[in-house]
Amino acid sequence: MAIHYLNIPLKDQDVESLNIGDLVYISGPFFTCRSLLQHYIFDDAHDLPFSTRKENCLIHVGPIVVKENDKWRLVSFMPTSSIRFEKWGARSVETWGLKMIVGKTTMGEKTTAMMVEKKCVHVSPQSVSPNLWIDHIKIKDVYLFDELGTIEAAWQMEADKLGPFIVDIDTKGKNLFDRLDITIAANKEKAYAMLNIPKDFEYTKLY
Amino acid sequence: MIKRELYQDVIFETIHKGATVISKDVKAAFERSIASETSDSAREGLIQTLKSIETSVQKDNPACPDTGWPIFYFKVGNECVLEDGFMGLEESTRDAVRKATKLGYLRATMKHPLTGRGPSDNIGMNIPNFTYQFIPGKNIEISYVAKGGGSECFGGTRHRVLAFADGIPGIEKFIIDCYVASTRAGAVCPPSILGIGIGGTANVAANLAKEAACLRTIGSAHPDPLIHKIEIDLYEALNSLGIGAMGSGGKVSVHGVNIEYAYTHIAGIAVATSTNCMVARRATSRINSDSSVEILDSPNWFEGR
Repeated sequence: MAIHYLNIPLKDQDVESLNIGDLVYISGPFFTCRSLLQHYIFDDAHDLPFSTRKENCLIHVGPIVVKENDKWRLVSFMPTSSIRFEKWGARSVETWGLKMIVGKTTMGEKTTAMMVEKKCVHVSPQSVSPNLWIDHIKIKDVYLFDELGTIEAAWQMEADKLGPFIVDIDTKGKNLFDRLDITIAANKEKAYAMLNIPKDFEYTKLY
Repeated sequence: MIKRELYQDVIFETIHKGATVISKDVKAAFERSIASETSDSAREGLIQTLKSIETSVQKDNPACPDTGWPIFYFKVGNECVLEDGFMGLEESTRDAVRKATKLGYLRATMKHPLTGRGPSDNIGMNIPNFTYQFIPGKNIEISYVAKGGGSECFGGTRHRVLAFADGIPGIEKFIIDCYVASTRAGAVCPPSILGIGIGGTANVAANLAKEAACLRTIGSAHPDPLIHKIEIDLYEALNSLGIGAMGSGGKVSVHGVNIEYAYTHIAGIAVATSTNCMVARRATSRINSDSSVEILDSPNWFEGR
């Protein structure tokens, strides 16, 4: 298991060197996104009001941010589940030129196919550590705040060795969780045996 | 009579504590898991999470930004008298939720289910949600639960109705299958506290599962030996699956299995599950009739069941 310290903007060779199971820490500018932003951009045909060329890392997150003395203060930050954004995943990778998506869980087949084509990885947290991560993040700016509200707005932030996140989809399209599924499926059969559930058990069809 | 100003303050402080201070039993579960986890990366995930939980107290910050659905459980003495009555209690609870949201202790997560919009104060149709239980006495116990979206949305909450013929094997198979599906890729933030409701109508089973997940302490035992045996058997079976912290593989897959049951129509057994996040957030306060206030480690929700 290799550990990588990466700088944003990410280059193709940065992400091509990553394999599933590797750990990454990221530094540099990134932006945030949740469903309402992708709905606003892709379903309602708006443009993202800034260029993502130099901040080609997207974190799926709805932060808690409060305004104190006219300044934003980041209160809490924990990546949220990426799989629920699958509807817009491929278009996000293509349109925004993403090289890395950070989020809990993983992405589905369509997004993975686009990630392979465009050379992008997905990484996910192995802990729930918002109170450690906020010390590694600075708020730079916010867009679409009035339209989408605090947690769904597009926040531009700066990371300083933010991590660790585990690579769960690499640029070859391999998925860490697909591999774990095989182990867990075998363990599931053993768990049934531990519980004396008969191998030929079938539920009664009630309807 | 318990004054409105007092119970409103206590409700706010209960929300504040629930969002920022993790209960003793949850922290103890982390310590046990760190000691027993054999995967280096899963152990590191647990260590980092525990460190973050401890830091949330120092920083007076939420333990997780997903403070989720604000849910309240009131255990009310039959002779308890509240200034402005129970409508005052509910209105004060809404005010306390608004205040906690404005101060950043709660994230403004609650929105209209179809438009995705809302006033960003966590108040709306049927939210916050209130559940009451009546007991002898003059006191009131207030439990606040921050029910996170990960643990609720991604398969952690399920139900099915089994035939009586399917019995315990059918129940246990359903639980194993649900847990594997809902923890895939760390969706429900495992190691979770798994609540299970057996019997009653489907909504009764679902409520029991939620209360078992959120209101029983980790390691507590159901008093019925038959039910407790299923708790132990499932705890051991689930911890043999290799799911690990955030579903990335590891020895510790579940922090607790709590089962509650209701009598049921013999035609069918409703079974429901509810997972609570590894960073399980809850707090309980008691206001006595003499206006003294106590902070409780356990919600005692099922005490005297």
